[in-house]
Amino acid sequence: MRRLPLLRRQRALLTCAPISHDRSTDRSMRAAVARADNSEEFVSQQNFDRAVAEIVRLIPIPPETAEWFSEKSLAVGSKWTWRKMARNPAVLAISIAVVVITGVSVFQLLSRLNDFPGSATARKLLAVAASTRPVMLDPISTEAGTLSDLFFMKHGLEHYDVPAEFADSRTIGCRVFEDEESRRIAQIWLAEKRLQLFLFPAERNPKTGVVLGFPGWRYVHQEGWVGAVTERSGVCFMAAVRGNEKDLEPYLSNATGK
Amino acid sequence: MLGDSSKAQEVFYTTLREAANRAAQGELPKERFWLFRDARWRCLEASEADLQPEALKLDEHDVAPHAASQIEQLDPSQLAVWVSGAPDPQRTALALFYLDEFDYNEILDLAELKLSELSRYLIQGRGQLQAWLDAKHPQQGTA
Repeated sequence: MRRLPLLRRQRALLTCAPISHDRSTDRSMRAAVARADNSEEFVSQQNFDRAVAEIVRLIPIPPETAEWFSEKSLAVGSKWTWRKMARNPAVLAISIAVVVITGVSVFQLLSRLNDFPGSATARKLLAVAASTRPVMLDPISTEAGTLSDLFFMKHGLEHYDVPAEFADSRTIGCRVFEDEESRRIAQIWLAEKRLQLFLFPAERNPKTGVVLGFPGWRYVHQEGWVGAVTERSGVCFMAAVRGNEKDLEPYLSNATGK
Repeated sequence: MLGDSSKAQEVFYTTLREAANRAAQGELPKERFWLFRDARWRCLEASEADLQPEALKLDEHDVAPHAASQIEQLDPSQLAVWVSGAPDPQRTALALFYLDEFDYNEILDLAELKLSELSRYLIQGRGQLQAWLDAKHPQQGTA
């Protein structure tokens, strides 16, 4: 019989050529079959295989077994489902990473939204408030509003004025200190609710020196403490208390009512 | 694979039971053809217990142009018995190939064969079957 002028692998492929023409095959098989499609040897092989396969289909199968295969393919690929996909380790890892990245991004975005000029300093001062003990301050019992004169006369601090909202509150002590950037900070301890007040220089534009002001009151949070900050005449004022915004709201709403 | 429908049914149910047990324990293997591979080994185990045919060198004839008409005269059960008498892995190769449900890559995977081996077993199988057909249903000029 005539030998096909094919490479060894192609000859091997040809001997395993699919019996049914509708069966999908890979490219190398298709190429081998296309090359040998009209050869006498291959046609005989295909006729032989088809005839055997026909007889194999007629091999009796017990009805109890046959019903398992009624109208079903023997080799069904696993079905794609959302549940399976969600359990895939790679998908799971990517999903967790996306959730974490999104969470961090949202957190940073919200933090930025709440930021204002001086918010970083205000947060540092909340940490100072948390660590301050009354004995660290010079005892002074007066109305908070009167301390502006003391700060100006004794320390040369201009516009370190306690806003009207807190001016009538009684103090138990105060001090002036410098932070790590040598900015002079005034700290006042009130008798009421262990409130602490801070006055510190407002942030300025590093190029022009213009004060970066902001309207109204802004809240900052740090380790269980909350501060309400406002800026007036280039000086920031912060009222700080351990708790949340609700603890400061009465003072601020009183102020707007006045 | 077994040439005996009652044995084949027993292997079928044993394989299904194994699959059901594994599924219940959430331990179904992820490989696609696990069930077929398992069934194949069970068939081989079952046939080992039988009387083994003598290892003979069977005649091989070239596939004849009139082979199809010879094959049509075969009783399907006879063909099943003939295939089940082949030594493994040739038996697995012939059974999977003529079942016409798998492509050659799947057969290579299932039977753990190389392409050259599968090719050799199929060529031998065709030649031996043709020789058997020529002996059983001789046509003019072949016997």
